[in-house]
Amino acid sequence: MKAKNSFHIIPTPKSVSISITGKCNLKCKYCFYANEMEGLKDLSTEQWLSFFKKLKDLNVMDVSLTGGEAFIRPDLFELIDGIISNNMRYNILSNGTLINENILKKFENGKRRLRLDYIQISIDGSCAEIHNKSRPNSFDRAIKGLKLLKENNFPLAVRTTINKHNLDDLENIAKLLLEDIGVSSFGNNESMPIGSGCRNEASMSLTNKEKLEAMRIIEKLLKRYPGRLNAQAGPQAKLKMYAEMEHAKKTGEKPKTWQMGYLTACGCVFSKIDILHDGTIVPCCMLPGLKLGNILTDSIKDIWQNNKIMWDIRNRRKIPMKEVPGCENCEWNEYCNGSCPGMAHQLTGDFNRANPEDCYREFKKETGGIDAL
Amino acid sequence: MRTKNENLVEYIKNPDVVLREEDIDGALLFNPDTNQIKVLNTTGLFIWKLCEKKHNIGNIIKALKNSFDQVPDDKASEQVKSFINEMKESGFIGIIKDQKE
Repeated sequence: MKAKNSFHIIPTPKSVSISITGKCNLKCKYCFYANEMEGLKDLSTEQWLSFFKKLKDLNVMDVSLTGGEAFIRPDLFELIDGIISNNMRYNILSNGTLINENILKKFENGKRRLRLDYIQISIDGSCAEIHNKSRPNSFDRAIKGLKLLKENNFPLAVRTTINKHNLDDLENIAKLLLEDIGVSSFGNNESMPIGSGCRNEASMSLTNKEKLEAMRIIEKLLKRYPGRLNAQAGPQAKLKMYAEMEHAKKTGEKPKTWQMGYLTACGCVFSKIDILHDGTIVPCCMLPGLKLGNILTDSIKDIWQNNKIMWDIRNRRKIPMKEVPGCENCEWNEYCNGSCPGMAHQLTGDFNRANPEDCYREFKKETGGIDAL
Repeated sequence: MRTKNENLVEYIKNPDVVLREEDIDGALLFNPDTNQIKVLNTTGLFIWKLCEKKHNIGNIIKALKNSFDQVPDDKASEQVKSFINEMKESGFIGIIKDQKE
């Protein structure tokens, strides 16, 4: 049955994020792709290639190849060629440890390099001692992979996941990446209690006081390296959001880039959809338990246009924060957007709640808020 | 006024370009080789769809006049040429034939 809605949506997703394998050569402490994923079986080359043809029919523009570790698949370049022959671009999210000269040479065939948007490598420390605490036994190989990509002028993205172990190392990480290796910028987020991060929450996730400290360091780094740190989530993103909330409350001026007072985060379900390595279709990798179907048996287009869960997540935008359980009497409910539905679902069992991890009321109560910076 | 030469040049869409009809008022084109996006209005979309098969400028203008009301005689030719040229320069369409007289 078609869910009732009042939003215009594009007829098919523009982007698809695909975990092409559940296998990984690392066991990172905060990996969201853990626990429930271990029992699922990777799809075959032919199954993925057949899926890419379907994506062409849906006019999908780009795919993100994730894992697990994407480079662990021996047929990776066959899959990349399948993406290219079906008129799409691609990017790869990787731990960087399997990248070597031979791998890089393979990118030179056909349009593999031309259609590559970027390869993202995760670096969590300026030295092995710190990086390896969250990403065990991988620093030297990850840095080698990153340097190889940089030296060969590959389009690059670097991601640092801020956690208890690397908080005091952030300035050194920025120096390593931006000065010593010379990447143009790097992204950051934070370890979240999901997947393995849930198991290791006590040793990995930042407390509110630590988040404030991370914001303080990031503010300093942004002055030192203007425009060279970016974030969609985590302390840097929250610093911006909380500052806009404080500003709106004081002045009545609300930002034009996002809607306050409703569960408006996030926009993912309006432009992309995610596939797990056994073909399971999910709204987002942060909602791996919400299974919408499987690419072997179900139509992506039908799920995109008609699936009730997809519409329920989109329709969060209609829910005022003052009607969200737990937020009814919050002094910030006119200015908040509830943050990530995936984390809200993980922590409360309901994506129509606010994400407790990003609650500004609690953050301000414990730290004094961003005025304390 | 069109010259005889112009109608010897025929245009066809780049087969790698992705067409996304996201709205009733138009569409967008995506060139995966250049990562370029071009937004089309209904007229642009009509021309793009014509270019599924090879067409010269004269054919395109004639088809436009047959399908749209109030296509101005004086401006239509220049506007179509300008649009086609822009699409060619950015790799969304290509020339299939460019014969000498």
